[in-house]
Amino acid sequence: MLIGAIFIAMLVMICINIPIAVALAMCGVLGLLMTEGSGSLVTIALDMYDGSTKFSLIAIPMFVLAGAIMNAGGITDRLINFVSSIIGFIRGGLAMVNIGVSLFFAEISGSAVADVAAMGSILIPQMKKRGYSKEFSAAVTSSSASLAIIIPPSIPMILYAASANTSVEQLFVAGLVPGLLGAAGLMAVAYFFAKRYNFPTEAAFNLPRLRETFIDALPAFTLPVIILGGIFGGYVTATEAAGLAVLAALVVSAWYGNLNLRHLRRAMLDGGIQTAVVMLLVAASVLMGGFLTRAQIPQQLAESILSITTQQWAILLILNFFFLIIGFFLHSAAAIILVIPIVIPLITAAGIDPVHFGLVVTLNLAIGQQTPPVASVLITACSVARANIWAVSKVNIWFVGVLLAVLMLCTYLPAIPMFLVEYFYR
Amino acid sequence: MEHASYPVLSRINRLISQILEWITIGLMILLTVTVSFAVIARLMGESFSWYDEVAAIMLAWITYYGSALAALHRRHIGFDTVLLAMPPKLRIAALLAGELIVLTFFFLMARAGLQVLEVLAGDTLVSLTWVPIQFTQSVIPIGALLFMLAQILSLPAYLKLTSAGISLEHAEIEEEVETELEKNKDRA
Repeated sequence: MLIGAIFIAMLVMICINIPIAVALAMCGVLGLLMTEGSGSLVTIALDMYDGSTKFSLIAIPMFVLAGAIMNAGGITDRLINFVSSIIGFIRGGLAMVNIGVSLFFAEISGSAVADVAAMGSILIPQMKKRGYSKEFSAAVTSSSASLAIIIPPSIPMILYAASANTSVEQLFVAGLVPGLLGAAGLMAVAYFFAKRYNFPTEAAFNLPRLRETFIDALPAFTLPVIILGGIFGGYVTATEAAGLAVLAALVVSAWYGNLNLRHLRRAMLDGGIQTAVVMLLVAASVLMGGFLTRAQIPQQLAESILSITTQQWAILLILNFFFLIIGFFLHSAAAIILVIPIVIPLITAAGIDPVHFGLVVTLNLAIGQQTPPVASVLITACSVARANIWAVSKVNIWFVGVLLAVLMLCTYLPAIPMFLVEYFYR
Repeated sequence: MEHASYPVLSRINRLISQILEWITIGLMILLTVTVSFAVIARLMGESFSWYDEVAAIMLAWITYYGSALAALHRRHIGFDTVLLAMPPKLRIAALLAGELIVLTFFFLMARAGLQVLEVLAGDTLVSLTWVPIQFTQSVIPIGALLFMLAQILSLPAYLKLTSAGISLEHAEIEEEVETELEKNKDRA
């Protein structure tokens, strides 16, 4: 009864647009009041402080900052030129470049919305000029940027690892193969559209041009080398790699000569605000988590689902469905922080690998970024393209279909995301 | 958050925003320098006992000073679809009720924060014994009060936009897109 009342209160608060972090914290306060009385309210200060000092989450501001500096520093343009010289000659070349650059961009930045705003503002106008429809241009930019959140470094993965108390490094490794698989799928769909609507090719493949763009983009490659090489080689932790990524982004941007103080100030500010928004959610979840633990809600949920089925495939099916629905209404950070602490005991009891499940959750939330009403990445792409969200969604269904296929493959063939994890860590 | 209908309030908002921006930027610079310095030192075989504790405190400070700034610009994650679909009078009533709940929470947090500060009198950090915990934990009551101030200062503009049926998230995305397009012009 009490639990039901608190969840209804949360739903009402979210529906009247109270920040989700505050709605979560307020439910924690209501739980405290009803179970422990008003004398326990001092816990608010303790939990809100403890929640904001989770050391592993220091990686978040650092990766956000690295991405923002990279974007301000002119690295994006060089990546576009380099990828264009490799795959631009294929029919629908700019769409292919869009997907390819998204993958690369994702290696450095952790935020899909920032990526789509940065990359989309360069590529979408070019695509429109070259005869691509604005709906197709927005759809391909949006879906490829969302796929990028399963490729390391990924803020949702860092949040999941902290919420599920699992290894962020292993989660990063698990995202690599599904990310490449998804990119291949998106390119196949883009190629199908390109053939059907006779989209143009870009400059023919030319070795001297490839060499020239490669040399120009070479300093930018130090970033993924530091991040991926450092983490996978076991030299640095994810947090340390994030710190090094900021330094490298600064050095590379200064090398290119595009970084000015105004851009750097803006990058610092964006990084700080994005971090604060996510961290307030994390802190609020600690307050709410205390109530959930006392009320034993995660354990009750695990018991009730396990009493229906103990089959891993069925549990994963239920959770996939649940996360897909939640993706319509919640941002990825909020969804992870709200739901993961509740479902983790179920995952553990069912014997599902938390790293595998983390990858499944992240993929679900990538799809959620494409499904209105709450679809930040899709809305950003539509805004850049000046296209109607519903018209874009009609084209985007094909790309979302690819993401769903990758989700099903990764859910039911765990070896696809996990074989590299097994190879590196187990 | 500003609105042309409230010029005086907009000026106050800009001033508070600038102060919070410089605090947030300063903390981000400090955190970046600390993390980078500690990583390089560790790779060279040196490690600092204070690093974990100090970096975590900086994260907490970024959380609350940055949160107040985000509140001033209404950038916290929310869900406005249902609110915007309500009939105008109900929408305003729901919005004001929501504001009251937010202010109540941060009032309770500020009060709890002050109580904790009293209890912690005399305690210091584990790794840096010359730093009082009262100083590091002061961020909770100060952050809560700043959040309340930011919420109140940005309320009139938020009310105006929401009454007109404008989504804040869409407005924010438009702003981000405009900034990126500006940046591209700069480069060109």
